[in-house]
Amino acid sequence: MMAILVALIDRLAPLFRLAGVDVPQLRAIVRVKLLMDNRRSYTTLGRYGKKSGERNNTFLWVLLFYTLFGGLFAVATLSFVEPDTLFLPLTLEFSYVMALCAMTLISDFSSIILDSSDNQIILPRPVSSRTLWVARVVHISVYLFSIALAASLGGILVLGIRFGVGIGLLCLLMSLLSVMLTVFLTNLLYLGLMQFIGEERLREVINYTQIVMAIAFYGGYQLLPQLMPKLGSNTAVMAHQPWHLLVPPMWMAGAIEAVMLRWFDQTHLLMLGLSVLMPFGGLWFMNRFLTGSFSNKLSSLDQDSRPAASPAVDPTTPSLVNRLAGWATSAPLERAAFLFVWRITSRDRKFKLKTYPQLGFGLAYTVIMSYNYSKLGSSSHFYLFALYFAGLYGMVAQYQLSASDNFRASWLYGSAPIRQPGFVLLGAVKAVVVKLLTPFYILLSVYILYRYGLERSSDVVLAYLNILNMVLASALLSQRHMPFSVAVDAVNQSNTGRGLILMVVLSAIGGIHYALSLIPYGVWAGIPLAALTLWLLANRYRQSRWDQITMV
Amino acid sequence: MTTPPVIEIQNLTKSYGDTLILKGIDLRVDAGQVVGYIGPNGAGKSTTLKVLIGMLPDFGGSATVLGMDVRTQALAIKRRIGYVPENAALYDSLTPLEYLQFIGQLYDLDPTQIDRKALELLRLFQLSDHANARMTTFSKGMRQKVLLIAGLLHNPDVVFLDEPLSGLDANAVVLVKEIIRQLANSGKTIFYSSHIMDVVEKISDRIIIISQGQILADGTFAELQHQRPESLEQLFAEMTGSDGQTDVAGAFIQTLID
Repeated sequence: MMAILVALIDRLAPLFRLAGVDVPQLRAIVRVKLLMDNRRSYTTLGRYGKKSGERNNTFLWVLLFYTLFGGLFAVATLSFVEPDTLFLPLTLEFSYVMALCAMTLISDFSSIILDSSDNQIILPRPVSSRTLWVARVVHISVYLFSIALAASLGGILVLGIRFGVGIGLLCLLMSLLSVMLTVFLTNLLYLGLMQFIGEERLREVINYTQIVMAIAFYGGYQLLPQLMPKLGSNTAVMAHQPWHLLVPPMWMAGAIEAVMLRWFDQTHLLMLGLSVLMPFGGLWFMNRFLTGSFSNKLSSLDQDSRPAASPAVDPTTPSLVNRLAGWATSAPLERAAFLFVWRITSRDRKFKLKTYPQLGFGLAYTVIMSYNYSKLGSSSHFYLFALYFAGLYGMVAQYQLSASDNFRASWLYGSAPIRQPGFVLLGAVKAVVVKLLTPFYILLSVYILYRYGLERSSDVVLAYLNILNMVLASALLSQRHMPFSVAVDAVNQSNTGRGLILMVVLSAIGGIHYALSLIPYGVWAGIPLAALTLWLLANRYRQSRWDQITMV
Repeated sequence: MTTPPVIEIQNLTKSYGDTLILKGIDLRVDAGQVVGYIGPNGAGKSTTLKVLIGMLPDFGGSATVLGMDVRTQALAIKRRIGYVPENAALYDSLTPLEYLQFIGQLYDLDPTQIDRKALELLRLFQLSDHANARMTTFSKGMRQKVLLIAGLLHNPDVVFLDEPLSGLDANAVVLVKEIIRQLANSGKTIFYSSHIMDVVEKISDRIIIISQGQILADGTFAELQHQRPESLEQLFAEMTGSDGQTDVAGAFIQTLID
């Protein structure tokens, strides 16, 4: 890929020179950035695979997935409808491409866009801010164009086969243009945000955007197949409204419609014009106006973070967290670990990014499933399935607890005179349970009780206890790490196998619960048993010794 | 005949938001000088350096390096200066050789020449064995060595060093001190900031003490000593208003005992 890209940069060299870019520098920067990407593991894409040595195939797997998904989507929406009703499916097709690109930009490349290490490393060198900016754009475009190609391949093929090579090529062109437009819009969004908020806030905002994106992505993946038949049956010819001109994917769709059906009325000509002019206009605008202010903003990013004076804290009235800690824990060390984990999990962005989407998705999933699969929903104890699913998220959170970017600070556990590290482990798990699992579970059970009736309350209680048992059991069975003591990459590696085992055990316990629910008062009888197990497991975990803990 | 100054700053001010970091700095540095720029944390040392290397175009007053205006000719200046940043920022997923090749390309140096030079410099810093290992595992001292090479690879006329000795072991400190000395002897200008007073005392031709964005003292160590015949450390403490550290230390111990 590198060779192709370098050749491409050389081919386009006159164009770059015209824009005031130093081509050898550009080549050097892009080459180094891609090299580093190969050695880095993705944060959000990480779930698709693990890296092995030098070559990182994660990206290829992601591309394959997008191609498959986009292909299915294209076949379902584009291949059967009449040519004159293609507008809506085409709009969806381009929305898919643009949404994927925007998502990738925001979730996986915001670290690149906001990378302030460039300030220290490249800005002191004789590199103009324009060259640096173009290098960033080229670097990101490599990925975006690959993603766009993968996502739209299905659509291009379907259109090409149905309406000829010309239309297929037009679709390809439009996909590439929509990527350019997305880059422009996302850049504008970033710059707008940077105008109003400082770096720390910006990273915070991006973090939450990533979380929302992840939820939307999971949710969309669930919802889309169910929407598809409805889309397919939409046979009415779309009447073009003025607001269509405000929706970028509709420009692309309109342009294809115009060329394919030879509809060159005013609206279609406008759309055709917008679809071609706006991406290039955006590029010109960015090159002309945004490069200077962008790198200026970037170089000031580092400076803004001066130590802030902390607001005065009144030590006499214990905060809510402190009271919760006192209530949930029994020993001072356990309590310290509880507070420590509580605070770090509120502030560590990677932890939030790995756990919050799962929680949000779990809730959305339950609500959607309980409506769409009404057969499964009421008769076959779907609510049990949903409740135990929550346990999975608890375990994910517990598992992520050991990972941190600041894992080196774990020397602390080694230097402090901790005789029984189990207190720390149990306190940490309690923090996760009280802070993440329980509120989530309460929300879930309120929904379940509302939908399936109050007589399910015994199930809700038993499932909660069983989930806690599961979390503790999985903590006992897997390698024990002190909280935040392992490098993030190291944790992600052995994830899949463990997840499988947990699924099996989880469904076994769910199965027993199901069996109990068939016996009258069986569930009520199960509750004290589960509580006793919980007490035993917690004691066991608290008694973890140093030789049972893996320190890295 | 007077040669034009290598660095000239007049009434330099710089603020972040509402806080004024530099409150009017005036400076003139001639070729071949080793200037030690010292001051407490937050005094504005790094900010001055960043202005001089053209990273912060948004400042008040005027600044020239090698006779060129920092605001308008930043790129031309950057070609002829070297800069070693303070917080060991480098792309650590690369190997030292890859990193140095990359930096060399940014200065438009000949690739085969970069390789030859980089390998030789790494060897002299005793990093030969690690030339092709990723820097993620490097200690602070090893990174600092790579950064020093990266800052000097293109044989700059003026060298700006921000805490150049941090993390280096005793032998490397001696080596870097000697490198600084010999660079100056060959006519290059060195401008560096540091906290380590006895090093500053020994290798600087000239010492500038700043505090809260203003220059407090400027001269050779002998000249500064003339005002108060003490060590640089004591002089520094007195001037920057953190005198009486003995009492603070006493209070510290007392609090520990309580």
